[in-house]
Amino acid sequence: MVGETLRNLLMIAWLLPLAGFAVEIFGGFWGSRKSRVAAWMSVGCIATGFFCSLSALLIWGSSNNFWKVPHETDHHADAGHAEPDHAVADHPADSHDSHDSHDSHDSHDSHDSHDSHDSHDSHDSHDSHEPPVVLGQTVYSGTLYYLARFGSLDISLDYYIDSLTLVMFTMVTFIATCIHVFAMGYMSEELTEELVDHSAHLSNGHHVHRPGRYYRFFAFLSLFCFSMLGLVLAGNIFQVFIFWELVGICSYLLIGFYTERKAACNAANKAFVMNRVGDFGFLIGLMVLWTFFGTFRFGETLNDKGEVVQAGLFQMLPRDETGNVLRDAESGDVKIGVVTAAVEPGGTRTIPYSLLVVAGLGVFAGCVGKSAQFPLQTWLPDAMEGPTPVSALVHSATMVAAGVYLVGRFYPMFVQEVLLTIAYVGCITLFMAATIAIVATDIKKVLAYSTISQLGYMMLGLGVFGWGAGLFHLITHAFFKSLMFLCSGSVIYGCHHEQEMPKMGGLWRKMPITAFTMLVGVIAISGLAVPGLISLSSVFAFSGFFSKDAVVATSLAFVKGNPSHFLLFIVPLVTAGITAFYMFRLWFYTFAGKPRDQHIYDHCHESPWIMTGPLLALSFFAAFCAIGGEEGPLYRLITGDQPAHVAHGIAAPLGSGELTLPGHEAIHAVHGTAGTLALIAAASGTFIAWLLYGTTLVNVAEIKRQLSGLHGFLANKWHFDELYDGLFMKPSHVVGSCCVWIDKTIFDGIIHASAEVMIFISKWDKLFDEAVVDGFVNLLGDSTFAVGRSLRVIQTGRLRQYVMFIVVGVVALFAILFTTFPG
Amino acid sequence: MNGESFLFTVFALATCLGAIAVVFSQTVVRMAFWLVISLGSTAALFFLANADFVGAAQLLIYVGGTLVLLVFGVMLTASGPYLKIATSPGEIVMGSLVGLMFLFVVFASLNGVDWREPSAAAIETGNPVVATGNTLRPIGLSFLGSRPDQDLTGDGDTLTPGYLLPFEIVSVHLLVVLIGAAYLARAKRRAVGPG
Amino acid sequence: MTADLNSYLFVGAVLFVCGVVCMATKRNGIGVLMGVELVLNGANVNFVAFSRYTDLGLDGQIFSLFVIVLAAAEAAVALAIALNFYNNHLTIDVDRANKLKG
Repeated sequence: MVGETLRNLLMIAWLLPLAGFAVEIFGGFWGSRKSRVAAWMSVGCIATGFFCSLSALLIWGSSNNFWKVPHETDHHADAGHAEPDHAVADHPADSHDSHDSHDSHDSHDSHDSHDSHDSHDSHDSHDSHEPPVVLGQTVYSGTLYYLARFGSLDISLDYYIDSLTLVMFTMVTFIATCIHVFAMGYMSEELTEELVDHSAHLSNGHHVHRPGRYYRFFAFLSLFCFSMLGLVLAGNIFQVFIFWELVGICSYLLIGFYTERKAACNAANKAFVMNRVGDFGFLIGLMVLWTFFGTFRFGETLNDKGEVVQAGLFQMLPRDETGNVLRDAESGDVKIGVVTAAVEPGGTRTIPYSLLVVAGLGVFAGCVGKSAQFPLQTWLPDAMEGPTPVSALVHSATMVAAGVYLVGRFYPMFVQEVLLTIAYVGCITLFMAATIAIVATDIKKVLAYSTISQLGYMMLGLGVFGWGAGLFHLITHAFFKSLMFLCSGSVIYGCHHEQEMPKMGGLWRKMPITAFTMLVGVIAISGLAVPGLISLSSVFAFSGFFSKDAVVATSLAFVKGNPSHFLLFIVPLVTAGITAFYMFRLWFYTFAGKPRDQHIYDHCHESPWIMTGPLLALSFFAAFCAIGGEEGPLYRLITGDQPAHVAHGIAAPLGSGELTLPGHEAIHAVHGTAGTLALIAAASGTFIAWLLYGTTLVNVAEIKRQLSGLHGFLANKWHFDELYDGLFMKPSHVVGSCCVWIDKTIFDGIIHASAEVMIFISKWDKLFDEAVVDGFVNLLGDSTFAVGRSLRVIQTGRLRQYVMFIVVGVVALFAILFTTFPG
Repeated sequence: MNGESFLFTVFALATCLGAIAVVFSQTVVRMAFWLVISLGSTAALFFLANADFVGAAQLLIYVGGTLVLLVFGVMLTASGPYLKIATSPGEIVMGSLVGLMFLFVVFASLNGVDWREPSAAAIETGNPVVATGNTLRPIGLSFLGSRPDQDLTGDGDTLTPGYLLPFEIVSVHLLVVLIGAAYLARAKRRAVGPG
Repeated sequence: MTADLNSYLFVGAVLFVCGVVCMATKRNGIGVLMGVELVLNGANVNFVAFSRYTDLGLDGQIFSLFVIVLAAAEAAVALAIALNFYNNHLTIDVDRANKLKG
């Protein structure tokens, strides 16, 4: 029953925006351009979705006795940290045996509550010394709608609901609601029949005049929400791919919202094309999965009797008790359990280990594109051409997080080579983007690079086996980054579309709410904290501290296990400092100090309540959503259904050259160290920023001049655009011009030559026709005519003469007869 | 020269000379007169050839019907009884020459062709039925579809078809022709005048 | 001159040729009609002669009867045509009927 309720609630939350989109896009087109109905409808849909998601989350928690836990945790927290972690970590391994059947029955609604109850009982009796509370591990999966069937492969719309799904749903709908409300104010200038776009020019130099597109913006936002929620709810990897592409197209539509601006068009194209590169890898991964696993579903497929017909992807990959993937000793191939009893008893298939790596890397390639990781990161800064609410919703909080989400969702299928790749990609990305953010002057570009950098943190966290840490950072980052984007939107709105930070300064006097909420976001992302404020063993900090701390701690534990990969710890640690530096630089630049451009300063104003309201709501969550850190409710919610092999970690056999992946214990052991180091880095970054931009003690321009080479390198974004230009664009231009040459000279030559030949032949044919054929026909006609003309003389019209002719003719005939046949 | 030969000679000469006179007469009335002579003599020749019924029909239809018709035509179309529409002498000469040549050709072919060998009875008396000259009944029977002359002389196994169908066709034909002639000849408005 | 087949055919030939010459020389339409009658009579003489002197038998006479009947019909129609011609042209001269001149 719980599964059915959850499914229905999430489906409402998922499908409402689609209905909203349909109504808005058509109703808006036929309706008035000045109407706010579309916006209200859009907000209504997504807000209803939020409440549905929230109640689903609450129902899930109460059905799993989740809400009782904080008391227990507090109790344990006083006693020491090791104990609750141990309890959490123990549980999945212990219950793993009975777990599969439990899972499968959950999705079968009629047995649902009964079975979960049963399993509680059995669990309690089985392990009496365990705490009576069972944490999570309750996955509800099933099929919503069959689309098609190809052989053994079902293409269907499935749902796969676990704690991560619910948290993502709640987060996405909440942030989307805030941003929708914000956008109602921000986009209000579109509420007109004729809007003058000062950034778009016609060929004659005039500004573009066009009707406002208020309704269209909200329709696209609704469509985006539908796609994103569908992606999160998806129960099979193919469905993920479908919605993956849908969010891609929404992103395209929203980046290119100002279609009249060339930069916006280019940015939209760039985002789309870059994403296609990643999606190509995704498709390869899908093909491998289909070929060897025969299914796309995450969970098991049941028949009417509740028997397992087809194992899900997540159940197929065999792992030993420590979590290592089981491999054949000689060939290194992996045997996967394909089907269980009903269809093919104990059926197994074998997949080469290398292809397993390929599948993982392929799916990750899609994530690289969507999450703007190195080397496909260049589209995201350009995507800032879209309206700021879009940047906040699509390009910082949700869509780009979809890549991270998919890595987390697909975690059971990743082998350690893939994980290492993910970690290094994240590591490179986070450092590179952070360095570029230092020198960016466009307020939105700074935030864009910061987003890339933070996404890198998430990937790094996931790559070094910090499943919970990476997704934890995903959630907290979504809150504070959407907050900061909305703040920047508020600034841009207040300053009349001025985005360059060097022209701002001292704005906190004019827009205090924006400045204050922005400061909350900046502190959150920087990871600043005040140790020992509440109690000796805990720290008071905003959300970013806890999640970043978790990532850094995991990477430190990872590096301890694998010393050769020490960079995976050093780089994020240093970048934590850089992050603090550039974020405070942004804040000081924008809000502190003296006004640099008096004109802008004089005209700027605080935004209306409809825009600052969401800022306050988001700033509250940005600050406190992660309260309690890794013992807090959010982290425990996220990790409620973490993959079974994550908790323990994987110890590499000695001398095997494989990676040692840290478990929760190992991570916790280094938590204090990592946290301290990260805090020091962040504090020093903040201090430098204050030194450079908050005071007048150091001349920034002087430093910039002395390091002009480095500055230029960073300001040009590590020359990635030029690199891709030289690497892909130029060669394809060369290939293209070669093709043009071949086309023009060879193919066109052949065609032209054949055309000439044809013309030549037809000329001769014409001559032949005119001379011979026409001549023959004309001759026939002419001779007939001439004969008629000459015979005309005989036609005297006189009766008697005719008789004479007849007689003469008869006589002549007889004469001929007699002379020819004499006798 | 027996009586038959004498009569044949007389009527043959009358026929031929009448015909020639028709050719060379200049007025229509005279032509009609000579035509009566010629056609009547032809009827006599038919009697001589034992074709009694045909001869009678010739007299009745031609001399009694057709010629009266022609004379009516002459009267209807002529402003006077001695109307001449002169033919140029050159044309007459030319026509005569051509006619002579034609006659020569026909004679040549008459003599040149070896006619079917007549049966012995036919040489003596001609066809047994025809020879009697009493042809009215066989002709009437043949118009009713029966051929006693053929069937009696043959082996009796095969019946020769008669002339019932052609007779009926000719009857209808005549009817149609009379209607058509009446239609054509009915009085209409006159044209303004010659030439 | 004996009454044998050739003699009859000779008379028929004379009649025929006279009719033809009559048609060829007479300008009077009625005269032309008379020529036609002569031609038909020539043919009739031949039919009767073949009936009399060969195995043709009664068929020849019956054919000549048909010819007589058809000649009568022809004479009636031709006279009607001649009358029409006269009504239209006020003359019976066939040389005036040269509308079909090529």
